[in-house]
Amino acid sequence: METGIRVLLLTAALALLPGCATVRGWFHGKHGGASSETQTASAAAPGAAGADEATPPRVIEPQVERRQIKVPRIKSSNVELGLFYGALSIEDFGTNADYGITAAYHITEDFFFQGEAGRSRAGRTSFETLGGNIQLLTEAERRFTYYDLSLGYNFLPGEAFLGRGVAMTSAFYLLGGFGATKFAGDTKFTVNFGGGYRVVPTDWMALHVTVQDHVFQSSLLGVTKLTSNLEARMGATVFF
Amino acid sequence: MARSTTTTRSSPRHPCESGKKLICRPRQPARAAAWTLATLLVALLLPAVSAAREYLQLFVAEPYLELHTGPGRGYPVFHVVPRDESVDVLFRRTDWFKVRTEHGVEGWAAQRDMLKTVLADGSPFKFELGDLAGFSSHRFELGVFAGEYGGANLISTYWSVSLNPQLAVEAAAGQFLGRFANGETGDLGFAHVISPDTRWSPLLLLGVGIAHIEPKGTLVTPANRTEQTAYVGGGIRYYLTRRFFMRAEYKAHYIFTKRNENEAADEWKLGFGFFF
Repeated sequence: METGIRVLLLTAALALLPGCATVRGWFHGKHGGASSETQTASAAAPGAAGADEATPPRVIEPQVERRQIKVPRIKSSNVELGLFYGALSIEDFGTNADYGITAAYHITEDFFFQGEAGRSRAGRTSFETLGGNIQLLTEAERRFTYYDLSLGYNFLPGEAFLGRGVAMTSAFYLLGGFGATKFAGDTKFTVNFGGGYRVVPTDWMALHVTVQDHVFQSSLLGVTKLTSNLEARMGATVFF
Repeated sequence: MARSTTTTRSSPRHPCESGKKLICRPRQPARAAAWTLATLLVALLLPAVSAAREYLQLFVAEPYLELHTGPGRGYPVFHVVPRDESVDVLFRRTDWFKVRTEHGVEGWAAQRDMLKTVLADGSPFKFELGDLAGFSSHRFELGVFAGEYGGANLISTYWSVSLNPQLAVEAAAGQFLGRFANGETGDLGFAHVISPDTRWSPLLLLGVGIAHIEPKGTLVTPANRTEQTAYVGGGIRYYLTRRFFMRAEYKAHYIFTKRNENEAADEWKLGFGFFF
């Protein structure tokens, strides 16, 4: 008998509890709604989150202004423009002053690309000097004009010191490239190579000492030969 | 800590900008060249003068930021900026940044160290790196070549503007120097980069141009002539390091002459370039 009653009560409890769980809002008034929410909150059932739809949670609006970051453009200073003046030894035609312009772009701390154009004027050959009034070239043909495009490599970077207070960064560099030379009425493919020393006293200016050889094939004096035209010069450049 | 993003400092003004009247004397013709040269020198030797310049302010997020005496890995470290202090970025040269600390100390910081600094809002400082990613996608290319054009020696340079990583507009100028003729060429066309994100990236080239030919005669010298050309070709780029790459290319030029027959010229060249 007792066993039968227990089974009956347990069956009733099993039938009722899930049913109660499915019923929301026993009371439809304000008070009832609040109490049901309290019940669901205390039950902490994840499936009961839908109960919040009726009353949205209070959100605190932050009164913080987000900072607008304006990143200014960082100036790049990789371009170097300048002038040079020096001496050019034109093979068979003596040594004369030469001058010109250079432009360089620093690609990395090791490599730079350089373009340059220069001009000089050839003197008289020994043959002309000894032969009296013999003229091998006209005055216009004696003009020696060249340009070249080179790749430079900085090596032995260091610092040059003036007394105790001044230190200037410096570097030796190697140059190699190719270009063209207009001389004696013809334009010749020219290979140039050499090296130099650069001192940078301020961030925007550099001083150079450069020695280069300009090599091209010439048949001006009867036989075709490679002529070597050495150049030593000083220059000043400005970084942009 | 109060943080601002930019700082403004005034650079010294040139005396000419101070509003003083300059007395001008009539220049003598003989001195005109000297004056021109002097003006050019002054223009070259004076840095760009601006009334005020805004510098980017960055904050050190690592334990410290090392400052070198020069823009190179060999220059010694002479100063360190501790965490949370700021630096103003004055300018950039290759992979180095010239910075000024809050205490007025100026030095050079390496690119890899600057990547670890942050902006005023705490976000990381990002900037363009000249690396393989830049090689794959960049705006401009500049390069020089040596090679051969129709049997003559060729010196050539080119400028390229990328429309997207795979398509670029290229302009090239060259001078060829041969036994029988000298001359200049100019090309304008498209370059299609087939595989821009790999170290070896092949190219296809197509475009038009002009060629100015100055024949060298012995007894009878033909007149100089300027002809229109068109070209098709291919090439390959190989990324070396930083912003630097090698490039080799071949172009088959068709020269549309005013004579009965058109001409053809092969152009082979090898050179190097850089992107920025």
